[in-house]
Amino acid sequence: MIPLEHVLIVAAALFSLGLYTVLARRHAVLVLMGIELMLNAVNINFVAFAGYADPDNFTGQIFAIFVIVVAVAEVGLALAIILRLFRLRATANLDEANSMRW
Amino acid sequence: MTGIDLAFYVLAGFSIAGGLGLAVTRSVVHGALFLILALMGVGGVFFTLLADFLALVQVLLYAGGVTILMLFAMMLTQVREQPEATNNPQRPWAALASLAFFGAVTATIVVTPWPRNLPEGAQHVEFVDIAGTLFTRWAVPFEIASLLLLVALIGAIIVAREATE
Amino acid sequence: MNAESAWILPALPFAAFVILGLASLTGWDRRLPDRGSWLAVIAIAAGLVLFVPVTIDVLANGPQDYVFPWFAAGQTQLSLGLLVDPLTIVMLGLVTFVATCVAVYSTGYMHGEPRYAWYFAALSLFVASMLGLLLADNLLQLYICWELVGVCSYLLVGFYHERRSAAEAAKKAFITTRIGDVGMLIGILLLFQATGTFHIGDILAKVANGGLEPNLMTATALLLFLGAMGKSAQFPLHVWLPDAMEGPTPVSALIHAATMVAAGVYLVARMFPLFEAAPGALAVVTAIGAITTILGAGIALVMTDIKKVIAYSTISKLGFMMLTLGVSGYTAAIFYLVTHGFFKALLFLSAGSVIHGAGSQEAGELGGLRRHMPLTAWVFGIATLALAGIPPLSGFWSKDEAMLALSHATLPVYAISLVSVVLSSLYGGRLWLLTFTGAPRSHHAEHAHESPPVMTLPMLALAVMSVVSGFVALPAVGRAIGLPGGLGEFLYPPGGHPAPYHFDPAVAGISTFLAVAGLAIAAGFYLWRVWSSERLAAALRGLHQALARKLYLDDAYQAIIDYGALAMGKAIASFDRVFINDVGINGPGWLAVAAGGWLKLTQTGKVANYALGMIAGLLITAAAILTFFV
Repeated sequence: MIPLEHVLIVAAALFSLGLYTVLARRHAVLVLMGIELMLNAVNINFVAFAGYADPDNFTGQIFAIFVIVVAVAEVGLALAIILRLFRLRATANLDEANSMRW
Repeated sequence: MTGIDLAFYVLAGFSIAGGLGLAVTRSVVHGALFLILALMGVGGVFFTLLADFLALVQVLLYAGGVTILMLFAMMLTQVREQPEATNNPQRPWAALASLAFFGAVTATIVVTPWPRNLPEGAQHVEFVDIAGTLFTRWAVPFEIASLLLLVALIGAIIVAREATE
Repeated sequence: MNAESAWILPALPFAAFVILGLASLTGWDRRLPDRGSWLAVIAIAAGLVLFVPVTIDVLANGPQDYVFPWFAAGQTQLSLGLLVDPLTIVMLGLVTFVATCVAVYSTGYMHGEPRYAWYFAALSLFVASMLGLLLADNLLQLYICWELVGVCSYLLVGFYHERRSAAEAAKKAFITTRIGDVGMLIGILLLFQATGTFHIGDILAKVANGGLEPNLMTATALLLFLGAMGKSAQFPLHVWLPDAMEGPTPVSALIHAATMVAAGVYLVARMFPLFEAAPGALAVVTAIGAITTILGAGIALVMTDIKKVIAYSTISKLGFMMLTLGVSGYTAAIFYLVTHGFFKALLFLSAGSVIHGAGSQEAGELGGLRRHMPLTAWVFGIATLALAGIPPLSGFWSKDEAMLALSHATLPVYAISLVSVVLSSLYGGRLWLLTFTGAPRSHHAEHAHESPPVMTLPMLALAVMSVVSGFVALPAVGRAIGLPGGLGEFLYPPGGHPAPYHFDPAVAGISTFLAVAGLAIAAGFYLWRVWSSERLAAALRGLHQALARKLYLDDAYQAIIDYGALAMGKAIASFDRVFINDVGINGPGWLAVAAGGWLKLTQTGKVANYALGMIAGLLITAAAILTFFV
């Protein structure tokens, strides 16, 4: 059987990779992908706990479904914003979208 | 080690490999492909963790929908594939922060006592059960989620629309 | 009407002040006939009328003290009071009489002034405060009135405040006297602390019982005398009085000759048992009086502004009164105060008449006015002779009493008083001769004219008093007006004994001889021209210069202010600018701006930086929790 630790460590690794992607990348779509990766890492946790701790109610799975819903909504909106940014600045580089500075 | 266990480690390896690829690749398009790999891996992991429905949704929605959407967006925004266009100067710090985060979380996971195994008699969750629970116990959140999707849809349309004024 | 109604005396002028003050503030005074001056004149003259029944009551029933509770603060009861005793009566007579004369005179002298009503309002307030000061039976009330007369003096000296010199003079008078007043207030509070009361009678009773520390008595007497020095223009606080001549001349006559400046002498007389119980303080009074009388007389010799001459004469004479008090000549000092009040007020009013008629107050622009202003010349002459102390004018009798007291003192003191006698007749004669004899020295003086009756009548009244008021020292005259005998049997210090009139031909002879000699020297210089004052001045150039520059005292004070006070002020100002302002006030502002400048560098506008910051914050928080709470 798979120890719960391993599942959690896999999730943590995926989350950290997503985090690195978000922090180190300047292309808007890549950043968005990083966020998706982080959300999936979180979903792994939910599902794992649903199986290991709460197999009868599987509430974690239900929660993961909602996370997916929110993530999808977010992707839709984010891509719309990226499109808008590109039209405005002719770039998808987030470092150039820095008009909210001093 | 059973077949399921093996499948978990392999699929988890795929996922992490996809994540690593996403993290280091210079090409946005390659990044999207690596993401698909990672998400498919996650879907497999869901299956090994008794979440059949979620595994299906994962494959359909992410690998099929979201990533395609992203590729569309990339095409629309004509990405130049250069490292300075995809990486920003704070990369070392980002690496440090991510490693620190990973270290902290892993340390916490290791020192916390967990149930070693899946409970006895744990079964794959049936689609019917999921549907039943969603539409009874979680009916209100479900409706709110559908409302959220509607709002996001309309918002995305409005934001992305050509300014015509 | 008895003495208890004496409160009406100050109340009436105060009412006039309120009405006229409001009227002149609102501009209604223009609708009043003669702009309301008659209100003040009536209120002030009523004091003179009411003075008579009050005096009769006191003569019949003796001194009276009425105490009204004012308020209580804890265990301390404060009260207002009316004290009517012989000293009060004598002073009331002087003040009401001179004030009435001056008020009437002012209606002529101030005619056509733009702030006519305001002048009379301030004059009324002054009379009210002065009468209140005289009637006060406790030091607190006295101090309040003391400050009020100071304020009135300030207002009236600065009456022509459009003139910078007048405004400066008013300020100087106020500040200089304030130096003395602070000492006086401290003295009053020390007395209160020691005795638990402000009531003069109670304090003096404690003094008589020996209930006070000798050192405390000396200290409080000196502090009270400091106030008297400021008010009575004693050296070294005399510098304000000559400058106070910037005020209208009637004001100089009333406030700066006859009444307010005499308040210092009055205060010392009122607290006389305290001074007698403190010989050290009394010696200081003597010394200050001696210095002041010689200094004032000396400077009066060389002044060319006729009002300045009279002003320095006043300083000299106030010093003479202090000197007399210092040798325990209580009755003599008050007697001299009264007669001096009459003839000095007359001198000022006559000088005002000269200024009014000849349009100048510089001796160099006058001369020969006797022909154009005979009446003024006459009364001025009478006042001068009274000032010199020529018998049988009032000045003679009072000066004689004083000389009698001084002749019992030590020889240097007596000698100084004799010198002052010579000097006062010398400058008095010089002043009169320069003004009224010889050839007119200016166009104005040639076309001088006599003043109107409204001005000359008060002068005549004062002239009469200058002549006759001295006779009150004689027992026959005293009895004729209802006193128990001569003035000495009516007015004597608390705890003292009635002093029957005493005439010492030797003392009277010496002082009269010296006074005549002074007049003769003056005539030698300025009438017969056997000597030349210019040549003498040239011969004694150093002394003449020093006197003409007022012994450099004003310069010294100015230097002290310039180099001491202003330097200190500059130091404090620079401390304020550098430390308080630059560091204390601008410092935090600059720090905030600078900090903003540094911190804004963190605002790169790049989302990735912010996200990294978030993660760093998360990690640090987690580390802190793990370190400190787990």
